[in-house]
Amino acid sequence: MVAEILAVAIFFVMFFFIVTEKFPRHLVTLVCGAVVLVAVFGVCMRSPQAIFHTLNFHSIFTPEFWRVSGESAESSGGINWATILFIAGMMVMVEGMGISGFFRWLCLKLAKLVHYRPIPIFVVFMLMAAGLSMFIDSITVILFLAAVTVELCQLLKCNPVPMILSEIFCANLGGSATMCGDPPNIIIGTSLGYAFSDFVTNTGVIAGISLLFAVVYFYVCFRRELSMSEGQSTAADCPEPKTAITDGKQFVCSVLIFGVAVVLLITHASTGLTVAFIGVFVAVLTLIAQRRSALVLLKKVDYETLLFFTGLFVVVSGLEETGVLELIAEGISMICGTNAKLVIAVILWISAVASAFVDNIPFAATMIPVIKSLAAAQGMDLSVLAWTLSVGTDIGGSATPIGASANVVGISVASREGYPIGWGKYCRYAAPATLLVILISMVCIYARYL
Amino acid sequence: MNNSQMIICLGREYGSGGHAIAKELAERLGIKLYDHNILDEIALEKGVDPMTLRKYDEQPHKLFLSRSAKGHHSSAEVNIAYMQFDYLKRRADTGESFLVVGRCAEGIFQGHPGMISIFILGDTRAKCRRIMELYHLTEQEALEKMKRHDNYRRRYHNNFCEDAWGDSRTYDICINSSLKGLDVTTDVLEAYIRARAKLQEEA
Repeated sequence: MVAEILAVAIFFVMFFFIVTEKFPRHLVTLVCGAVVLVAVFGVCMRSPQAIFHTLNFHSIFTPEFWRVSGESAESSGGINWATILFIAGMMVMVEGMGISGFFRWLCLKLAKLVHYRPIPIFVVFMLMAAGLSMFIDSITVILFLAAVTVELCQLLKCNPVPMILSEIFCANLGGSATMCGDPPNIIIGTSLGYAFSDFVTNTGVIAGISLLFAVVYFYVCFRRELSMSEGQSTAADCPEPKTAITDGKQFVCSVLIFGVAVVLLITHASTGLTVAFIGVFVAVLTLIAQRRSALVLLKKVDYETLLFFTGLFVVVSGLEETGVLELIAEGISMICGTNAKLVIAVILWISAVASAFVDNIPFAATMIPVIKSLAAAQGMDLSVLAWTLSVGTDIGGSATPIGASANVVGISVASREGYPIGWGKYCRYAAPATLLVILISMVCIYARYL
Repeated sequence: MNNSQMIICLGREYGSGGHAIAKELAERLGIKLYDHNILDEIALEKGVDPMTLRKYDEQPHKLFLSRSAKGHHSSAEVNIAYMQFDYLKRRADTGESFLVVGRCAEGIFQGHPGMISIFILGDTRAKCRRIMELYHLTEQEALEKMKRHDNYRRRYHNNFCEDAWGDSRTYDICINSSLKGLDVTTDVLEAYIRARAKLQEEA
């Protein structure tokens, strides 16, 4: 009992310090993780096996960690090294793409294709945000896209806020479509053994339908404001796409490597290559192709986020090993009974509401063992609960300025260019859009799986 | 940086007359005063409406309603503050001498050889009287306004600076404007600044 109480207390302390940002969040999860290992597993449970299982180093040295034969394997719990290696590898690749000027080039190229007209740019940038976020983390997508949006809007004499709000929403939506689009999906995929194609054919379909509604919704919201700036300026002052490319050779290499990553991800269920392998492979390719900037690329990797994940997995393991998460699953079972529709509604709305206010990564990591227990107890299809959790956590984060990191980055870029976005302005447009998409997702899940 | 560059950072309690003293000091020293006009200049640079920026000026961010990610912050208050800090740093890099009211200036320019930091405080009754006269408020309203604004300033300052707002160890000189009035306080500060400037030029 003491172990359970301690594990829960550590989890809440971790969450409190993550939210208050008194200390760097990676230090918070690492310290809390260390306390779990020593106090919960060592002192209370006297279980060296739990420590060994949670640290999970042995998994890296198994062939299945890099390549699986047949069905994808479920992660054995503890620190999810596959997620960490994949994210690290993608970080190296994305930094390489950024240095070569790929993202800026792509934004300018698309703007040029639509003749620098505000409304077509608005629609195209929303679609691009969703498309890129399917393969690249939405923070990077928004970082580049918001900066170019502000630059173009200043030249075209229109307000960039409507575009940035729509881009943030679509980036989060695009991230929900694939296994690598958003960290909760990577954790769900690697923990439960789902492949890229599983996500595309399930959450991807929901995201695709929702995207159509989202584009129409934002168009209706902002059409008047954007149409007022149509034809107010000429495209003559807008920068040429080729000016974005810093090094032609590096640019070509980074585009090719991105293509390789996409192909490997799409085909990984049939090739058997795991996401850990793909992450490491694209990172090595990037470092070889851009060997002159290799050190810079390695320095730019966000090690704090990787450490944050490491500590987080240990803290969640504390809840899992002590059986706390099973109790939560039992609680949900008791409330919902055998009503599958109610279980899905509870998972979807709790995930969405929680993700709107707290970091969706710890939430998703905590909920994975819960849905596993729920599926076992209720005899439900685990994959349905996985897609529900994925959609809830990914989309829910769009509702408020603090729900997802992409929101924070987009708002910050706009604010620093003189376009502050407060809670009121953000939620006026994003919260109804989130509500709309969650409802669409619920209808899709009910119609397809029940 | 040239030897004669002066960056005067003036913090103040609400109602102490700090802003009026700053204005007079800048005029006497012949240097530019930066206060909320920084936002007007930023707005002009960026081609945006200054009024949209002003409502976030020197405001603390809401702890549980904001968060950071990869060096970015969701709070408009924090982003507007960083814009002002960047602007001040750019002005300082040109070698210009100026006086800044509030805006964590003593924290931003900590270690700058030309920096002189001042904090102006006042007796509660005197500050209250001043606020009542300026804004035509009752004593109770004035006290509440004073408390609220000082609380905002403290939270805003302490969010960005290591040293505490209003703590004598944070500043080169702290002075109570209620004791001898605004004019004498200004005279004392002018004399102090000129003495410091002379020392700096001789160094």
